Amino acid sequence: MKKILTKMKMPFCQGCGHGIIVRSIAKALEQLGYENKDTIIVSDIGCSGLVDPLFDTHSIHGLHGRAPALGVGVSLGLDNPGKKVIVIQGDGGVTIGLQHVLEAARRNIDITLVVMNNLLYGMTGGQISGLSTRKFKEQRDFEVDVPPFDIVKLAHVSGAAFSARATSIKTYPDVMKEALEVNGFSIVEFSSLCTSYAFKKLDQLQEVIEPPEIFKNERIPVRIHQRVTNSLFDKLDVVEKQFDSKIKSGIGVVVAGSAGGGVQSAAKMLATAGMLSGLHATMKGEYPVTVGTGFSVAEVILSRSYVNYTGLEKPDVVIIVSEDGLNKVRGKIKDNDTVIIDSSLKTDEYPDAIYGDFVRNAGKRGAALAALAYWLKNSTLIDVDALKKAVSTHKYSKVLLEAIDKGMS
Amino acid sequence: METLTKKMVFTDASMIITEACVRAGSDVFIGYPITPSNRFYQYGTQRFPSFLAGPDEITVMQWMSGFSAAGKFPVTATAFPGLALMAEGLNMAYAMELPMLLILTQRLGPSTGSATTGAQGDLMFLNGLISGKYPIPVFSHSDFEDAWDMTYESIKMAIKFRTPVVLLTSKELVMTNKSFDINKLKEIIPVKKFSTEVIEPYAPYKTGEEMVPAYIPLGDEKYQVRINASTHNDAGLIKKNDPESMANTKRLKEKFEKRIDEFTFYDYDKEEKAKKLIVTYGISADASRDAVGKLREEGEMVSLLIVKTLLPVPGAILDIINTYDEIVFVEENISGIYKEILFGVDHNPKIKSVNKIGNLISPTEIIKAVKQ
Repeated sequence: MKKILTKMKMPFCQGCGHGIIVRSIAKALEQLGYENKDTIIVSDIGCSGLVDPLFDTHSIHGLHGRAPALGVGVSLGLDNPGKKVIVIQGDGGVTIGLQHVLEAARRNIDITLVVMNNLLYGMTGGQISGLSTRKFKEQRDFEVDVPPFDIVKLAHVSGAAFSARATSIKTYPDVMKEALEVNGFSIVEFSSLCTSYAFKKLDQLQEVIEPPEIFKNERIPVRIHQRVTNSLFDKLDVVEKQFDSKIKSGIGVVVAGSAGGGVQSAAKMLATAGMLSGLHATMKGEYPVTVGTGFSVAEVILSRSYVNYTGLEKPDVVIIVSEDGLNKVRGKIKDNDTVIIDSSLKTDEYPDAIYGDFVRNAGKRGAALAALAYWLKNSTLIDVDALKKAVSTHKYSKVLLEAIDKGMS
Repeated sequence: METLTKKMVFTDASMIITEACVRAGSDVFIGYPITPSNRFYQYGTQRFPSFLAGPDEITVMQWMSGFSAAGKFPVTATAFPGLALMAEGLNMAYAMELPMLLILTQRLGPSTGSATTGAQGDLMFLNGLISGKYPIPVFSHSDFEDAWDMTYESIKMAIKFRTPVVLLTSKELVMTNKSFDINKLKEIIPVKKFSTEVIEPYAPYKTGEEMVPAYIPLGDEKYQVRINASTHNDAGLIKKNDPESMANTKRLKEKFEKRIDEFTFYDYDKEEKAKKLIVTYGISADASRDAVGKLREEGEMVSLLIVKTLLPVPGAILDIINTYDEIVFVEENISGIYKEILFGVDHNPKIKSVNKIGNLISPTEIIKAVKQ
């Protein structure tokens, strides 16, 4: 079997602990019988990010803190339990990308995350990280009152199958082996000596680090769900011309009411009725981001020719069935527009407006459709039967047909 | 298959783009919900072979990259706030040369702006998105047929050039329903993902004439694949300031420049003898089409250029523009972003700009500007 490591000399500072961790990973992989092309190393930024050329395997080198998320993508994308995805990052990487570690643990994605914790940011001059311990910070008299994240416990409570902290280098290959054997998300935080910015000797490091621990969750890994789907177009109704229309060129209709009042649905029925009458139709809705409160306005254009521009420079017909709707379209109504308003909204703003008892007769939810039916009956621009046909395939067709009848009465 | 019968449906471009993505062979939609890209997410859950709900857009871009490195084609859809979070990840995917599609539905900014109001405000950000101003391909669509075709072209391009591609759209383009004959849509053939031609001995970033490295997934049994976002050599290992890695970095720009004719898309409605040209893209194209129709009825001679390859800027676009005496740019933003990308900020008497925020630019406003 080929060795997992290349012959390259360790690129770390003299006495750095990262080399020991790299050798422990390789030893564990070899003991478990992983071949070079079975292994994918996902590396982060910082001193831990120098590992790629050391491993004679596949490798991908990404951004600071994001390697666990990148590794999740690789693992789910490969969807191959025979491959081993190992993510390597430092304590700085864990700090900036904490969310990614928790997310991978929550989903129990089949990757092994190796955290090389040297208590500091080595590449930028030894600044403390979110995993720097209090005892270490006491020595520097810096942020002593801020505890470190216990990434091992955090991963465990998030759902990781295996989480461990290893502090004695003799145990590293065995803990690594145990982590690699896990089917699901495993994380090992290895203590690592930074000779440049922390300590010269290992026993000095031992005095400031957190004790070893191991946690397990009995879980199966979450894998990608593959499925066969049908074309989105299959769900659409194919509309064929069945009626005639008296619309000569085109007409723009605004329906204004309240959210939850069936405004968008009524407008869609009008558009479909137009299509059933051989016309081109467009529709756009405007409503607040909340559901069921506030205004709801829809614009429909029906035209003999294909509609390019879907903005309504000037509507021909404005239908208003609630106070919210009136407030929203007020100011957009021009002279010569046909304005149809529910009787409950008596206003002297539009002297030529036509009033109807849509809400009283068809209820709040049926008012918009009733008002449209009323307008179609009186204008005869589109056959009301086209509107009835449009609602006939709707799951609430019975109620909608009643609303149309109420509007016409 | 061309059919003579019509198949009229009432739909929107979000559905058309989603359907085109899957037919072209996309494997997974990785989403984080944001208005006005909601319908992509909704349709994505129904149609993609796999769907993942990311916890934030930074994660989404990392998961996308992981999938792509493993040989699966990922798609996502977002709006500016999400794009901003993806910026570093997109630089990573770009440098790694990972194929993927990002649908960007523009909405009114700055910042959170108005989530349900359309805009064309993000092109300048995309133009400078990759540090060093390396070009990221940005395509645009202007109607339903375009939405279908440009989605297909985006995916073909992403795989052919091993690159993230942005399909730039906006709220009104993808949330307005229209009656449409879906039999007009051309057949889409799934795009082949992996390279069959590998230059031996294999090196992950070694390229030939095509200037694009072979696309082999991580985990391959034959080749050792190394992917790298930092400055790297042909072997995919970090190497700074040596000729090989610098050549690799320069190639990221050169691969597009050399082969730009392969992805230059536009609609040019040329009026013989016209001295005026309207230049537009995306949501402002429909109003421009109507304006040109009315202007011609009134005897005004005017041509129309609807640009679909926005970035990098193809020479063919400039060649057309430069034959006119008067150019009117139509864009739904405050100062004319595409105009500024092409002509800078200096005053140029040949150039006019029709701009607006908060609402669609109307044909009337374009006609007025052309006649002035």
